[in-house]
Amino acid sequence: MMYRRCLAAAVTAGLLLLAACSSSPAQSSAGGSSGTTLTYLTFLSPDLTAQFWAKSIAAAEKSVPGVTIKQDVSPTTDRDTYAKQLLQAGEFPDLLESITPSLYTSAGLLTPYSASWIKANFILPNDIKGEDYIPPTNSQIIPLVYYNKALFARAGVTPPATWAEFMADCAKLKQRGIVPIELGGHDSFAAAMPLTGALSADVLGSDPGWIQQRYAGTVKFTDPDVVAAATKMRTLVTDGYFEPDALSVSYAQSITNFNDGKAAMYPMGSWYLGSIPKSEWSNIGVFPWPTNNGSLVIPFSLGGSMAVSSKAPDQAAAFKFAESWSLNPDNLKSLISGDGAFPMLKGRSLASYGLSLSPAFHSSYSYVTSKNTKVSSMSWATNDDAFPGNMTDEFDAAAQSLFSSSNVRGVMQQLDQDWTDATASS
Amino acid sequence: MGLSAVAGLALVLYAVFLVLPVLLSLETSFTNQNILFPGSKFVGLANYARLLHDSSFFSSIEFTLGLAAGATIAANVIGLCLALLLNRTGLSYRILRTLAFLPQVISGIIVGFVWSWMLSPTGLVNSLLTGTGLVSQPVNWLGEPRLATLSVGVVVSWVLSGFTTVVYLAALQNIPRELYEASSIDGASSRQQFRLITFRMVAPATTISVVISLITVLKLYDIITAMTNGGPGFATRSVAMYIISVGFSDDAYGYASSIAMVLLVLTGVLALSVTAVLRRREVSL
Repeated sequence: MMYRRCLAAAVTAGLLLLAACSSSPAQSSAGGSSGTTLTYLTFLSPDLTAQFWAKSIAAAEKSVPGVTIKQDVSPTTDRDTYAKQLLQAGEFPDLLESITPSLYTSAGLLTPYSASWIKANFILPNDIKGEDYIPPTNSQIIPLVYYNKALFARAGVTPPATWAEFMADCAKLKQRGIVPIELGGHDSFAAAMPLTGALSADVLGSDPGWIQQRYAGTVKFTDPDVVAAATKMRTLVTDGYFEPDALSVSYAQSITNFNDGKAAMYPMGSWYLGSIPKSEWSNIGVFPWPTNNGSLVIPFSLGGSMAVSSKAPDQAAAFKFAESWSLNPDNLKSLISGDGAFPMLKGRSLASYGLSLSPAFHSSYSYVTSKNTKVSSMSWATNDDAFPGNMTDEFDAAAQSLFSSSNVRGVMQQLDQDWTDATASS
Repeated sequence: MGLSAVAGLALVLYAVFLVLPVLLSLETSFTNQNILFPGSKFVGLANYARLLHDSSFFSSIEFTLGLAAGATIAANVIGLCLALLLNRTGLSYRILRTLAFLPQVISGIIVGFVWSWMLSPTGLVNSLLTGTGLVSQPVNWLGEPRLATLSVGVVVSWVLSGFTTVVYLAALQNIPRELYEASSIDGASSRQQFRLITFRMVAPATTISVVISLITVLKLYDIITAMTNGGPGFATRSVAMYIISVGFSDDAYGYASSIAMVLLVLTGVLALSVTAVLRRREVSL
């Protein structure tokens, strides 16, 4: 009797639980703009605040009357991992901000923008197999080397063009008791800046198609030229040119350290330009990562805003909203001043945004606009040269490993294995 | 009927939230499921075979097992010592007992972030060490692989000690006072009383405390992610972190499930083995 009661109770409870737990479909109506809700994956940063998103979304919503945008804020800045978790939960967002589109395109999860719209509005496309999945509204150079002019003057050094000059500058700075390079290596992406610089300048500078050849398997990270470039990072470690305990210093602390004049140089993506205090505008200069022979190689990364999910219920409304948001100059102003983004809209000069920008910004931007050798930034590209799977994390970890391991070839060998695993999963 | 409903609900919850996900994960581990692509193919033991050649998996296992062993021992030694010290009456001891449990109530993410700051070159720990002259330069707590491992171990031990202290306190308070009185009459020293009475009588608590500590550390994710994010160079990447990386960055959901199954079996085997060994020590009056 007790058993039957227990069983009956269990069945009842189970039915109730399953009814409560059954997932409901997305609350957006299919077909027609009226009453449609589109989910929008965003993220927060010091410049992209909740207020920024509220204002920018409200402005773009005006272009799609009847459509409501519902924000889904990523708990961290790793939008891609969060997007995949949402995908697994059956809640892939309709609009996704600043994701790595190459991670999703092979699965057909994103709809490309119209080629004519891209051509009409942007200086350069950011293709993945001939299609653009995020509007290339801005670009970054990753890395540039920012330097403290006062510390350079104190040590009697000048911005280097070649690797040998760079090392000589580092030696002189160290001799004068000045920390040559600020790294912020506790955050792995910051730790990898010198490795990205060296591989972009030396490997991609000689062969811009290297990443495609890596996909084809005709080159490897263990090739002598790549190992030689990676050895530069190890040399900087062994010669003691990074700040003490570089791998314990967070990225946020590294910005503070460099702005406070605690180191002479800071290899970082051009987003650092948004963090230069006005009091230091005249004191911070910039030069590109030095190459062996002094040739100018710019590690370039086109970025953009919103990707549109192929599962979004109202594709027309989604694209209308995305296009309106992407072309809104106020949004770009925030990205330019706060994130050091270089605008890539056709027919608009930097001056037309009406912003007061540092001399370092203008110097950096000149590398974008002038004719020079632009290559993909190793591990930062979001086009066909994007790294597969979690290779970016592996690459960043490899840079950290070069602090404790003298076996540069062994570290590169692990990267080759990681690449094989990452491409096997795709 | 009320009791039957509660028992039934508990059974359903157990089945739905524990048994079913494990069975689904086991099923997924035999497939090549990729989270980006719907559908998957049965691949038999291919994922498990792949594990045998995965050096990243073995690195994460080595770190996780080392952390589990070290933190479990440390947390239980600290917990027993704190319990002995706090096993007294009085308001101040009640306050101290509450404070001892504090590490357990703080979110793991917050613990990780706070300790990450405290162990930074300009953080509290290095400020105290350099300020007192114990070291001349800040210590690279989170930037050197072995020191980072030690740092994670210390923090995890500190968090666990909140739990172990409470478990041992409860056990100490259940030891009959007559045993101590009788041993005093027989001339036993305090060291002998600890060894022959206290340590033996808390054996059941030791079993629970050690096994739960072990299980907790073996599946640890949040504290390590916030403190080191598995760095430097993945030196402090736990198995749980590796599972997330494989599943959501490499998109290899089937392979990630196989790693999860191995972790489950490993945890089960270790927990049962340790329980079996420790239960032999348990004394019943």
